[in-house]
Amino acid sequence: MILPIGPIHPGLKEPLRLKLKTKGEKVLNAEIDYGYVHRGIEKIMEGKPWQKCIYLAERICGICSYEHTQTFAETIEKISNVRAPLRAQFLRVITAELDRLQSHHLANSTYFKAMEHETLFMYMLSQREHIMDAIELLTGNRVNMGWNVVGGVRMDAKGTHLKQILEKLEAVEENHDRYVGIFENGPLVGLRSKKVGRMTKEEALKGRAVGPIGRASGLKHDLREIHHTYHDNFEFKPIWRKKGDNFARTMNRFDEIPQSIDLIRQAIENMPEGDIRTDVEIGSGYDEWRNEAPRGEVLYMIETNGNLIKHISVRTPSIMNIDSCAKYMLKDVATVSDAVATYATSDPCIACAERVAILDVDKGYKTYELFK
Amino acid sequence: MFQFLKDIVRKSSIHVCIINCGGCNGCDVELVALFSPRYDIEQYGIYIHNNPREADVLLVTGAVTEQWVDNIKRIYTKVPEPKIVACVGNCPISGDVFNQEGGTVHAPVSNFIPVAAEISGCPPRPSEILEAILTVAPNAIASRGREKE
Ligand code: SF4
Repeated sequence: MILPIGPIHPGLKEPLRLKLKTKGEKVLNAEIDYGYVHRGIEKIMEGKPWQKCIYLAERICGICSYEHTQTFAETIEKISNVRAPLRAQFLRVITAELDRLQSHHLANSTYFKAMEHETLFMYMLSQREHIMDAIELLTGNRVNMGWNVVGGVRMDAKGTHLKQILEKLEAVEENHDRYVGIFENGPLVGLRSKKVGRMTKEEALKGRAVGPIGRASGLKHDLREIHHTYHDNFEFKPIWRKKGDNFARTMNRFDEIPQSIDLIRQAIENMPEGDIRTDVEIGSGYDEWRNEAPRGEVLYMIETNGNLIKHISVRTPSIMNIDSCAKYMLKDVATVSDAVATYATSDPCIACAERVAILDVDKGYKTYELFK
Repeated sequence: MFQFLKDIVRKSSIHVCIINCGGCNGCDVELVALFSPRYDIEQYGIYIHNNPREADVLLVTGAVTEQWVDNIKRIYTKVPEPKIVACVGNCPISGDVFNQEGGTVHAPVSNFIPVAAEISGCPPRPSEILEAILTVAPNAIASRGREKE
């Protein structure tokens, strides 16, 4: 039997159709239909100056909105052969890690909601509010921050802001271990999450899984290792696990929370003085840049012509993660409710995964336009 | 008497369904933040469950993409009376940044279904969303219910 879930469904917070092929309660395989939130952002951007495009880039995805502006700005900086001043780079690290923290909390809370653990769901959301406060303190906004510009950041951290951020992070850390303990040692939680939705390393490679989803299956791949700011100034080691089940994915995200807090501490301690923005003469040409967003690698390919964007292509991590979820994680899951929970651990974010669908009527197949 | 009782019940239990018809999901995460203990939407008798067939209030986010043009009307007809629609964010009100040349959005939502309240902001703060639902929803639902009977 084919069981359609979505596009409007209690378990999904964004519109997408999940078609589960079931036999009794057992899920044999799954198929995913996109296409509900395609807005044509890349097309709108063409022929516009970067000052207009950076706001559009931010609105590709509301959850990891920060990382999109950073990658956009860094691509254009690379085309123009400049680098943001060191202080701006450090401020970018702080904001990027704060964004990662809130995204990981949100992802885990969604999973706990999907497996009906309301208590942890509430705990995670209340932890997340501390981080949202810190983001608001630094950037002035909660979700779409408008914090990056080409050549630096828009505002400096003022007065006691950095100290207040550290206090908020302490509040997060205070309860973190207890919540991880509830998840790690709960016998019923274990029954619902261990050995459910397994994806092996080979499958993760084939499905091109990235980010915490890939790392939970044993792919030691974190772009922060090679990013120049992190590489030159920070101590950093990627966290990874071997099992590749729902438990491993959630724990991987849990473990990355103290790591991000540590990175923010390092950044605040060693914060250099100086400018936060340089003047940039925008060059013409083509270049690409990758960054580690909360969900994995995001890739921007931009071709500029003076100040104008000639062509832009964006590849976001969710498209690979959702694909590998449908192909490998949802294969042979024992029950339908486990399938919904498994889908939630793959941390889907539909708004950034939309592509133009090309339907070949004669041959009867559908492809998604990833690259032009 | 019967009407009076009905009004009380309708005012104090509001079921909400969220429809994301093509935004950046920034508004949706702010709606999720409403669950958190800080805002605690359920203490006001508002329950978010994303099932149109039981909903009293439709919260629409997003700028109505191609796929949603027909679907949004279909979902609206599935919601039982009395019902009201509230727009969250700039997207359903004006199309926000997506309503430019090259974009494939058909904002505003009021072209397709009647809208009772609009909350602007990109995204609006959770407290604003909460305040807006509480100001318009209870009375609007009660009076709409009376109209139909
Ligand atoms: S109003 Fe802004 S935050 Fe809300 S969905 Fe639209 S673009 Fe995103």
